[in-house]
Amino acid sequence: MTQLRPDDVFSKSFDWSLTKRVFGYLKPYRWIVTVTLIAALLIAALQPLFGLIQRAAIDRYLAPVGKVTLSNQQLYHGLLGLALLFVVLKGAEFIVRFAFSYSLEWIGQKLLYDIRSDIFGKLQRLHLAFFDRTPVGRLITRVTSDVDAINNFITNGLSSLVTSLFLIAAYATIMLSLNWRLALLSFTVLPVLYLSTTYFRNRLRDSYRETRLKQAVVNSQLNENITGMMTIQLFNREGRNQVKFDLVNRALMAAMLSTTKWFSLFLPTVQLLAQIATALVLWYAGEGILRGNGVTLGTLFAFIGWIGQLFQPIQDIANVFNNLQAAMASSERIFGVLDTEELVRDPEQPVPLESFRGQVDFEGVWFSYDPEVGPDTPERDPRWTLRGIDLHIQPGESVALVGATGAGKTSVISLLSRFYDVQRGAVKVDGTDVRSYRQRDLRKRIGVVLQDVFIFAGTIESNLRLGNAEIPLERLVQICKYVGAHDFIMQLEDGYQTEVHERGAMLSTGQKQLLAFARALVQNPDILLVLDEATSNVDTETELQIQDALAKVMHGRTSLVIAHRLSTIEHCDRIVVMRKGKVLEQGNHQDLLARGGYYAKLYHLQYESGALVGD
Amino acid sequence: MNLMSSLWPYVRNHLRQYVVGIAAVWLANIAVLVGPYIIGRAINALQFRTATPLGLVGLALALVATTLLSGGLTLLVRRQITVASRQIDYEVRRDIFVNLTHLSKNYFDRASTGDLMNRLTGDLTAVREMLGFSFWQVANVLTVFLSTFVVLFAISWRMALLVLIILPIMVVVLYYLARQIDLRYVKVQEQNSRISAKAQENFSGIRVVKGYAIEDREVAEYQTMNDELIRRSMHLVRVEGPLGAFMSLLMGLAYVVILIYGGGLILGVLPGHPITLGSFTQFALSLERLSWPMLAIGQITNITQRGFSSWGRLLEVLRAKPQIHDTSHTDPSLHDLEGRIELADVSVHYGQYEALSHIHLKVEPGQTIGITGPTGSGKTTLVQLIARLIDPSSGKVLLDGHDLRTIPLKTLREHIGMVPQEPFLFSETVAQNIAFGMGGKDQPEILPGISVLHSPPPASFGTEIDLDKVRQAAQIAGLADDIAALPFGYDTMLGERGVTLSGGQRQRTALARALARNPHILILDESMSAVDTETEAKILSGLRSVMGTCTVLLIGHRVSTLRHADRILVLERGRLVEQGSHEELLALGGRYADLERKQRMASSLDQEEEASEVHS
Repeated sequence: MTQLRPDDVFSKSFDWSLTKRVFGYLKPYRWIVTVTLIAALLIAALQPLFGLIQRAAIDRYLAPVGKVTLSNQQLYHGLLGLALLFVVLKGAEFIVRFAFSYSLEWIGQKLLYDIRSDIFGKLQRLHLAFFDRTPVGRLITRVTSDVDAINNFITNGLSSLVTSLFLIAAYATIMLSLNWRLALLSFTVLPVLYLSTTYFRNRLRDSYRETRLKQAVVNSQLNENITGMMTIQLFNREGRNQVKFDLVNRALMAAMLSTTKWFSLFLPTVQLLAQIATALVLWYAGEGILRGNGVTLGTLFAFIGWIGQLFQPIQDIANVFNNLQAAMASSERIFGVLDTEELVRDPEQPVPLESFRGQVDFEGVWFSYDPEVGPDTPERDPRWTLRGIDLHIQPGESVALVGATGAGKTSVISLLSRFYDVQRGAVKVDGTDVRSYRQRDLRKRIGVVLQDVFIFAGTIESNLRLGNAEIPLERLVQICKYVGAHDFIMQLEDGYQTEVHERGAMLSTGQKQLLAFARALVQNPDILLVLDEATSNVDTETELQIQDALAKVMHGRTSLVIAHRLSTIEHCDRIVVMRKGKVLEQGNHQDLLARGGYYAKLYHLQYESGALVGD
Repeated sequence: MNLMSSLWPYVRNHLRQYVVGIAAVWLANIAVLVGPYIIGRAINALQFRTATPLGLVGLALALVATTLLSGGLTLLVRRQITVASRQIDYEVRRDIFVNLTHLSKNYFDRASTGDLMNRLTGDLTAVREMLGFSFWQVANVLTVFLSTFVVLFAISWRMALLVLIILPIMVVVLYYLARQIDLRYVKVQEQNSRISAKAQENFSGIRVVKGYAIEDREVAEYQTMNDELIRRSMHLVRVEGPLGAFMSLLMGLAYVVILIYGGGLILGVLPGHPITLGSFTQFALSLERLSWPMLAIGQITNITQRGFSSWGRLLEVLRAKPQIHDTSHTDPSLHDLEGRIELADVSVHYGQYEALSHIHLKVEPGQTIGITGPTGSGKTTLVQLIARLIDPSSGKVLLDGHDLRTIPLKTLREHIGMVPQEPFLFSETVAQNIAFGMGGKDQPEILPGISVLHSPPPASFGTEIDLDKVRQAAQIAGLADDIAALPFGYDTMLGERGVTLSGGQRQRTALARALARNPHILILDESMSAVDTETEAKILSGLRSVMGTCTVLLIGHRVSTLRHADRILVLERGRLVEQGSHEELLALGGRYADLERKQRMASSLDQEEEASEVHS
């Protein structure tokens, strides 16, 4: 879909340090680059030879110059020799050109691969806060159109610059050496060609840009009207919105027609220039032949061919700069991502980790999502999300976090997985600060169950394994039976091999949740974090299954649960009530109810049965 | 073929352009052949010393003149055929848009916006290319071959025959290559979108990726996909990369063949009518004109094939029929409606699912009806019936005693002001959004199927807005103060390129939009859920001035909202389970009473919280 992007605005024209960095990606392939360059040179060297052969065929055999000593039969044999040479050279040209385009594409693809891998790998290492700030669409652009722009510059722009220069040099050399007057005369057209090509390219670029812009307006109106169609109909706005759309639709057509206008002028102009060059050669060489000053018919014929062939490289060079501008802007954005500092990093010497006993300690934790907030920020600052949390969980203990939205429950869980770093205090697992472990070791041992399960494109099985190929299928099945997911999986078309993906509405919410529990159990974590979202559209049977599954996965593990269901809370050893970033009260269900505090009220309000609980 | 015949009306509208364009293609292709003829003559004149300097100048000028002619004709072709294709592109987009504005809710519920957008962009482009490129190139290829062969045969029928033998082989090879390129290109594009989808999935699921520490697996998977892309790209370049070189090789071979034969004729060593070097040159140069048309045949096939399958997809949208529309049962004489609503044994089914079940309801003009119930209980379905966004599966909805299906849609909706659950605002100014449905009468609709050549652009419609009315509506909706705080007041742009309003502000803007129509029936579907209680109270008191004059249907969960209604309906699983006034329902001690008790408790908890805040 065409969208109006700031990418269309070229700010930079040329930046040497960026270019050097892009060239750095070519380094591993310098041998292939060399091969490509040699091929380009060979192409350039071969190209004018065909004209030379044709010239020789005319001057020696078809219209021999000077006194003829050979019989027609002998002349014909000579001609056949040249014809053979022509064919051989054409074959050679084909091979070299094939090698050239193949190796160029290879370099381009490798380049694409390497830059993409770098960006993708970098993004896997970047801290979560980066993703909170950057829209996904922008990141996609980095690994798609921005990388393409660089690839395009190398394989189209730069390569055609090099080959064009080679070709121009080759043609110029041979033409000048054969007849420099004729050559110079025919060259007079070339500056005009270059200038008019540049002129038309610029006009075309402008009208393409205008078309893109108008297309973006049309698309956003379309999008808006399709999304809001019911509103339009309810308010009887069909006619007015049709008129409104018609105006932008006409503007798009006008922009496209202006492209047609310039294009229809561009190509005939180039043709005309080519023919003027031919006419000049015909006239000047013809005069030379008539005067008998050494110009031959073969030279005339060859020059007509060469001057025509010179047109393409000249036009290509005029086009290089458009490519360059786009590549500069894209590489600047790409390196911007690659140079982003990784804020959550692994320690130099991580504490080795086999498994956790499961002791969790939050010691005076102060945390804010705002990167501006530091350890010295005053405590009354409203940007603090957690304000001095002290929480100690014994191995095997299950703790329910309860509180209103914004109380800081999710932050507690995110900190334990070290998605973010605390500003003050420390989060410890088994007595060691989480910042002392390698992130992946830590997270391998901590299972997260987000009940809004994220489904990766793949099979049910691959979604359970998450890349761990060592687990036997029997174990997967066993776990799925245990949490009650097996039955519905077997009802799917291909059982465990059924293809699923994120946007596929094939799995119901309840089924996804069961899958999430199975996934967590497959990983067999030492500590379990559960975000137990309130779900309204699950039938009673599934609801019971989910409750049952949750109890099973929590069994015997240190568990920290953000609880919305009463049943979940009742299953936990301890309840921690949070409010505005602080722990308000804690204890077991009965104790807290007996205290008659905040929890007791919350309980009566939210968890007492009733059909009309607000949604 | 249906696809062809459905495209014909569009082409017919631009028939003159196509005919002129095709004639120009023909003439241009003839004019182009004059160049080689002049060069051939010049060579003969030079070889046999019959040329004069002045004659040479004449020939050179003639050469330039023929190019002026052929160039001018090519320009004309582009400005006829290409222009026509772009005008049709506009017409198809216009007609689809017009049709979309007629389609009913059920269509938009099923269709995805992304899919519709893809059809209106990618598919339309494919159709446009077919209408421009294919039409032109078919004419071009035919006339180039025809006129060139006339000339070739005129020069030497033996040589021409020779060409006629090799040429089909070249055409077949090139055709095969072009098809291969297209197939492989599609494969590359597929892999590209897979890679983008993977990146999208990874970036949006980054929390899970990090949470399960599966970054390495993700990188490996991403790289495997990129490996496959390299494989497919190299597969493509094997046929695409050397295309230019291959063409040059083929033309080189053809040249050598005629050089061997023609050379023999020139030298008189081969049997046949001898020819001159000039004629030979003319022959060779004319032959070169065939290289592009030979390449084009494959491309024409690809583009036409793609164009037709895209046209099929567009046709689905273009021909989609609305479920709800005026019929022969519609009574156009119905103009004024009071707002007496009656539902007689109404049920609504979505497949197996019963959204509403045997509902009976009567509402007198000017009454206010509160509706409540849990999610999925059918509240929204009920009000959508009244606005006739959907029709009942059984039973009847009556307005002033008329079956809704006999009331012209426009008339019905003129009398209704609706504020949906998630209001949709447009990227226009605040004032334009509020005045969205004002003025009652709509602009006349745009007629589909008419050539752009015969339809002048519509006059930009009157944007004069009755600002007093807008202000008044904003005042009642409790929005006036918010608007005053916006950078440009009522002229502030909303949406993508403007200000983003909060959920509550959006709801109140939509409320003002509904009120500005002076509706006889006002429907509020949870339209104050994101508004705080205090503002809500203010709005309700403002609404009371309107309530007497129009029938109000008010969906909500807050007892504070519902209690002032003349009657409150409680829905559950599509059934009407309780109804009565606030007091009656409290006395009943059912679900409504339960709701009331909980909300009372919640508000006491809130107050306590505030109190504790003061302490801490």
